Amino acid sequence: MLRILLINDTSKKVGRLRTALSEAGFEVIDESGLTIDLPARVEAVRPDVVLIDTESPSRDVMEQVVLVTRDQPRPIVMFTDEHDPGVMRQAIKSGVSAYIVEGIHAQRLQPIMDVAMARFESDQVLRSQLHARDQQLAERKRVELAKGMLMKMKDCSEEEAYTLMRRQAMSKQQKLIQVAEQIIAMTELLG
Amino acid sequence: MSDGLLMHSLAWVAGSDAPERNVLNIGYMPLSDCASVVVAATQGFAQPYGLTLNLKRQASWAGINDKLISGELDAAHSLYGMIYAIQLGISGAAATDMAVLMGLNQNGQSINLSQPLKEAGVTSASALQQRAHQSGTKLTFAQTFPTGTHAMWLYYWLASQGIHPLQDVNSVVVPPPQMLAHLEAGRIDGFCVGEPWCANAVEHGQGFTLTTSQAIWPDHPEKVLACTREFVEQNPNTARALVMSVLEASRFIEESHENRRSTAQLLSSSEYLDAPLSSVEPRLLGEYSDGLGNQWHDANALRFHNNGAANFPYLSDGMWFLTQFRRWGLLRQDPDYLAVTCQVQQTELYSAAATALDIPVPNAAMRTSRLLDGSVWDGTDPAGYARSFNLHALNDH
Repeated sequence: MLRILLINDTSKKVGRLRTALSEAGFEVIDESGLTIDLPARVEAVRPDVVLIDTESPSRDVMEQVVLVTRDQPRPIVMFTDEHDPGVMRQAIKSGVSAYIVEGIHAQRLQPIMDVAMARFESDQVLRSQLHARDQQLAERKRVELAKGMLMKMKDCSEEEAYTLMRRQAMSKQQKLIQVAEQIIAMTELLG
Repeated sequence: MSDGLLMHSLAWVAGSDAPERNVLNIGYMPLSDCASVVVAATQGFAQPYGLTLNLKRQASWAGINDKLISGELDAAHSLYGMIYAIQLGISGAAATDMAVLMGLNQNGQSINLSQPLKEAGVTSASALQQRAHQSGTKLTFAQTFPTGTHAMWLYYWLASQGIHPLQDVNSVVVPPPQMLAHLEAGRIDGFCVGEPWCANAVEHGQGFTLTTSQAIWPDHPEKVLACTREFVEQNPNTARALVMSVLEASRFIEESHENRRSTAQLLSSSEYLDAPLSSVEPRLLGEYSDGLGNQWHDANALRFHNNGAANFPYLSDGMWFLTQFRRWGLLRQDPDYLAVTCQVQQTELYSAAATALDIPVPNAAMRTSRLLDGSVWDGTDPAGYARSFNLHALNDH
């Protein structure tokens, strides 16, 4: 059974979702207002899905969503009365997997959850690919920087500098990037 | 790396040749011949192509077999024969279309015998033949996978000495890093495996090296970089970039004596082979000591590149394993040798990658080899070759 963390950001004391979720056979493991630290709550409760019920998502809500997506990625479903397409775009950009404007019917919850989970999984793959590419680029820049420093220091060619760095890395059982960082640190130290 | 190559690589990442995938899980077994994969992943050979290679050390060939099929591993350092066994559905799993992207090495495996056999004076092929034909307990030999290269070298060598590998001795499967423990426990009398595990046994005073795989077949095919055919078809740019990274790493390893030595140091790390440098380095440099007092420099020692000759996926290399499967009854009928081999060996993809790196590509996809028993293998008559041996287990007549 899916574990759901329900966030009630409406003016009503008891949200409109809890009953519908129970009827649809979901396990609501926690229901909180938005005066909480959402990432910490997600960490503590470890839900499969975060469900946010809000009349209109505020800046605070969006910020909390961004933080969860960065540190504790989960499928996030937002139920709202807000029709403004700009707000919807902002919510999706923040990391919301499904943005549902129309009223809540118990029989519609399962397909909504399924879509949110699928969307979340494909987003995660894209995100990790992007992260890997950023990291590759960052590593290459550091290796290039160290290579340039070494060429200047040893008055050698680019290829010789690479070979020296790789040999050093291998004989110390390290990766090339580690030796590059050492060269950069040492060069900065010696000014 | 020259400026030109760097520019080229950047264009590669940005343009339509960009890899479809940026992060790959690459499996390997802790063996000296995984070097080019480990060097490619750790020494910055893949990043210029937009690839990050996550190395996944495996505990057994059976694990690599299963994880390649399930997709948990995108590609792996693999036994040549094992990939063909998966292709034909005789590896213990359902038949899956496979791809050999490139050869990772030639040579560098050995057959060792135990200390008790050494003490009993069984230190030559003829003494072993005599012992194997005595009545009493059968000797037990270990290899690393039923359809792997080590099984094929062991069978081929035993048969060439008049010992029937399936009748005169028992054979069992043991993962490479566990050979020494099984030998010490007296569960096996000998084994065939890749380095450093033979050198390591000699170093521990546990027996001796009776022969090397390169003595059976100089410059024989051994490990390959392999994946499923589905992976190559869905990610052709990724596959080519992967081959280019590993090719560059293999060229780098053989560029100098110093590079080979630092490769040995990297490999011996607990993260990769977890074996003492004293077991890894000498045979990686071609310096052999057999545990019987003989020392030599081996002209056909472990080879990772050899200007591309060790990397080209020759059709005749892949096909040889099919002939041996047939010879030993692992295949009950002749497969369509050439058709199967042409499907598995990714010669076009390899050639594109090698050409982009100015690495020569052979003119012919078959090569001629002479093995220790004098038999010549050139890929022209696989069915006839499979039937040409005195000792065999052909079970169709």
